[in-house]
Amino acid sequence: MNDPDKNSFDQAAWIAQARQLLDESARDLDAHTASRLNRARQTALALQSVRSPRRWLLPAGLASACAALLLAVAIWQPHHSALSPAPDTLDSAATTAGAVGTADADTSPADDTLEFYQNLEFYAWLDAQGKDGDG
Amino acid sequence: MSGIAGTISVSLPNSPCVETVSTNQRALDQFLRGVERRALRMAELASGNRDEALDLVQDAMCGFVRNYAGKPQAEWAPLFYRVLDSRLNDWHRRRKVRGRWLAVFNRDSAEEEADVIAQAPDLNDPGPLLRLAGNEAAAALDQALGNLPLRQRQAFLLRMWEGFDVATTAQTMRCSEGSVKTHLSRALAALRRALEQHQ
Repeated sequence: MNDPDKNSFDQAAWIAQARQLLDESARDLDAHTASRLNRARQTALALQSVRSPRRWLLPAGLASACAALLLAVAIWQPHHSALSPAPDTLDSAATTAGAVGTADADTSPADDTLEFYQNLEFYAWLDAQGKDGDG
Repeated sequence: MSGIAGTISVSLPNSPCVETVSTNQRALDQFLRGVERRALRMAELASGNRDEALDLVQDAMCGFVRNYAGKPQAEWAPLFYRVLDSRLNDWHRRRKVRGRWLAVFNRDSAEEEADVIAQAPDLNDPGPLLRLAGNEAAAALDQALGNLPLRQRQAFLLRMWEGFDVATTAQTMRCSEGSVKTHLSRALAALRRALEQHQ
């Protein structure tokens, strides 16, 4: 009957020997093969150097795009608020007007313009009356 | 335009990004230098041809750099051997398909087939240099490893030569840990048989 300890010892021994032989075969490559391996490695590394700048360009590009967007918003916002007052500006204006008088606070410039166009005939008549009175 | 180019070329070498890239490239170079010879031997044992093996290793290196160079360095070895294993499997599959087609075309010319076999190198003949004492064991091992099925050979080389544990070997070979154990056990039995016959 086989001794299992002896078998495992034998196995470990020949595996160690096999490992050593494989190490030697990898170490003792001829110069031509070593040179070709070196070329293969350089070819692979060249791929890395080509890819690297692109990898760094992506976050840089994103950061530039965000900065441009923020700048555009910053430029556009004051211009926009000059054309139409912001809601909080309107609120503060209404509060001030409320302190002065409720009638003034209820009328906005848009309402004035609408009223003017609705009573256009009256203003024309008033103008004509004025001229007749002058003459 | 030349002014802009000049500004870039002057400012880049000082940037931390470029330093990181060159450090990474140095580490990558060191890593590939460390594994290339073993990888070549693995590919050579699988293909039986050094030129094919060199092509396979270069292909594996390029695939590794393209896909995994950004991964942590601790993961590089299993990932590199995973790419190599994948290339060896592809090569093995292509050769099987080609062999099937050649078998169909050569079916009618049995005499020619006999001639081809007669002209093929005798694997038992180690050749003039390998007859020398000391090289016989290496030749016998090469022959025994070369005769193993691809998966068994890879399991043996990754576990016993590269020193990967069962889990890493399974991850590298894209199979279960149970399969790795089975492949390895069969490989050890076959190698032992082959080497004992040789003695």
